[in-house]
Amino acid sequence: MSLLTFKKGVHPPSSKEATAAKPIERAPIPDTILVPLSQHLGAPSKPVKSRGDEVTVGEQLSEAASKISAGVHSPVAGKIKKLVDKPLPGGKMAQYVEITVDHEATEAHEFERQDIDLSTLDRKTVTSRMREAGIVGMGGATFPTDVKFSPPPTATLDTLIINGVECEPYLTCDHRLMLENTRELLEGCRALHAAYNFEAIYIGIESNKPDAVEAFEKEAASFADLPLRVVPLAVKYPQGAEKMLIKALTGRTVPMGGLPLEVGVIVSNVQTIFATYEAFFYNKPLIERVVTLSGAGVNSPKNVRAAVGTPLEHLVEFCDGISEDVDKVVVGGPMTGAALPTLDYSVAKGTSGFLFFTEADYTPEGPCIRCGRCVSACPMNLMPLKLAAYAKAEKFEDAKALDVNACFECGSCAFGCPAKIDIVAWIRYAKNYIRVKGL
Amino acid sequence: MSTRSEGFIITSSPHVFASTTTQRIMLAVIVTLIPAAIMSVLYFGARVLLLYVVSIAASMATEAVVKIARGRDWRSITDGSAALTGLLLVMVLPPTISPVLVALASVVAIFIGKEVFGGLGANIFNPALVGRAFLSASYPVQITNYTAPRPVFSFLGSGTDAATSATPLSAARFEGVRVDNLDLFFGQIGGSIGETSTLFLLIGGIALLAMRIINWQLVVSYLGTVFALGGIFYLIDPSTYPDPVFHLLSGGLVIAAFYMATDMVTSPITKVGQAIFGVGAGIIVIVIRLFGGFPEGVMYSILLMNAVTPIINRYTNTTTFGSVEAQQGESA
Repeated sequence: MSLLTFKKGVHPPSSKEATAAKPIERAPIPDTILVPLSQHLGAPSKPVKSRGDEVTVGEQLSEAASKISAGVHSPVAGKIKKLVDKPLPGGKMAQYVEITVDHEATEAHEFERQDIDLSTLDRKTVTSRMREAGIVGMGGATFPTDVKFSPPPTATLDTLIINGVECEPYLTCDHRLMLENTRELLEGCRALHAAYNFEAIYIGIESNKPDAVEAFEKEAASFADLPLRVVPLAVKYPQGAEKMLIKALTGRTVPMGGLPLEVGVIVSNVQTIFATYEAFFYNKPLIERVVTLSGAGVNSPKNVRAAVGTPLEHLVEFCDGISEDVDKVVVGGPMTGAALPTLDYSVAKGTSGFLFFTEADYTPEGPCIRCGRCVSACPMNLMPLKLAAYAKAEKFEDAKALDVNACFECGSCAFGCPAKIDIVAWIRYAKNYIRVKGL
Repeated sequence: MSTRSEGFIITSSPHVFASTTTQRIMLAVIVTLIPAAIMSVLYFGARVLLLYVVSIAASMATEAVVKIARGRDWRSITDGSAALTGLLLVMVLPPTISPVLVALASVVAIFIGKEVFGGLGANIFNPALVGRAFLSASYPVQITNYTAPRPVFSFLGSGTDAATSATPLSAARFEGVRVDNLDLFFGQIGGSIGETSTLFLLIGGIALLAMRIINWQLVVSYLGTVFALGGIFYLIDPSTYPDPVFHLLSGGLVIAAFYMATDMVTSPITKVGQAIFGVGAGIIVIVIRLFGGFPEGVMYSILLMNAVTPIINRYTNTTTFGSVEAQQGESA
């Protein structure tokens, strides 16, 4: 039988060999950490601590500013040195909390396993626990997870999809987590199932990670109470995109501009499920995550478990430095990640990786020859070449009429463009213009 | 340990790319034409080689001159598209054509056919066919002066008399003479320089399909329409109308279907649009061949469909994933 997948898409080289077999290492805590207060989609969180305050591990640094927002917790014990304004990847400014670490107190702190009675767990408890723990989608979109798990009363929610696809090249953080924390992930599923009583819980994994599929299948025996379906998927980008994953696993189509809940589905990244597990069973807020450091320019590629707020410079040091000819640094995967001008950034809840490239491809744009490769690649079945041309000509109404807002910027179009047109950048320009001007 | 920590390149995502470039695509098309080009030299002699050189050089030079005159980067000539135009142009001209006319047609092809629109990607008509159309309008005698090729494959087929100088289509149309389809397949007939050898064009065309540089939708709809319509007329009256296989193998239809109709710039973007283009062009070929004033309709079939391609592109947009239209389509 052929593997399940979606229509269209592209096949970038996986480039995962450097780190796929490397166990997760815990990155040492640096002397100073810089925790951004905007690590999620939505309103920046509001600080509840100020300069000079002592904090302990897991203590709240900021609280959610609105419904679509999330609080941030301290991953260390220490003293707040100051609150500073610094850019986030992509250039937007945000507040950061700079903490001088008390290593002794940090190491002494431990989160203890709690006994919870799953039979009493209801949806309200689940979502409020998620919110208290500051959990957001860790696949990259960083949407507040409690909002995702709060369906409107009219919705019929029957399916949970655990996203272990990891279709971005280079990244192996999800892969390693699935191998090393299989049981914990399934325990997280069990807790969610207790409150939501799903008809099906899919675990979608690209078939290039057969060991992860096997690990889940093996562990599934002890979770016979769950409606688990471990599904290997065809290796194709962007298989891990929410709408594509739902289509491949359930055959359901999320309406344009709509949410997965409209077809009865919640999709959650494996790291999010792990954070949820820790929140339930250890009362531990989201203060660390697994990050892949890879690319030709890093001396020792690694998967590391790093505290939120760990400066990139510190991780680079932990990976034995980067080579002198690194000319591009990317946070996230190479298909959707943002390029960083300097190393002056920190790990955030949505940081899946840092990539260091030495021969960055930046061929200037040539004329579009209308080869149609972008149309054949677009998983949303858009006409990227027309959208880019409309954006260039500032014909934003025309771009909107061709559903430019349905683009989720996966980069499949620009990946294969023989004329090297910066299609994603043009589309983003059109989308931003439409949003700002309210067209 | 590196000291480098700033000054990295900032570009939009994505940060990895497929190896495909415009230049590679053009080169791939040129490479697949080489077998047929070599056969044309064997068939019609070394002077054909001279014509190729003249045409390619004149095409590239014209583009360079126009770019310099417009203050643009003349190095665009290395993208391979001008060279491809020059190569294709010779392949659709008769072997007796003079080098001077070839050079003139190349200038017209690149200047009028491509650069006046703004260069690669902006042109509406297939440049090589614009060059040929110019000659057929301005030098109608020279462009219909065909000689038969040397009998390279004389051990095959019927071994047509080397004195036959009319093309099979004009012979069929105006003299009621038919040639053997096997001779057509191997190119043992009078015809244009590169279009006579169906076999070698097919090899190249299939390579293009395999490399996904061209889509089967256009090729099949074009050839299929000519075959089906030609077949209908043949069944109506076999004594008046040639058989459909003859239609497929003659008049440069094969080179046109694989190499000219499929020109990315001047054919529709989507596969649906390309199928419409192919059907339209196929109808035009049969109408011109059977009822028009010319023996041959392939060139005009493509130029006319080039003209309507912008309209086809306008009405063959894809339906967005999850849109109301797409969901109606799914449930239907």
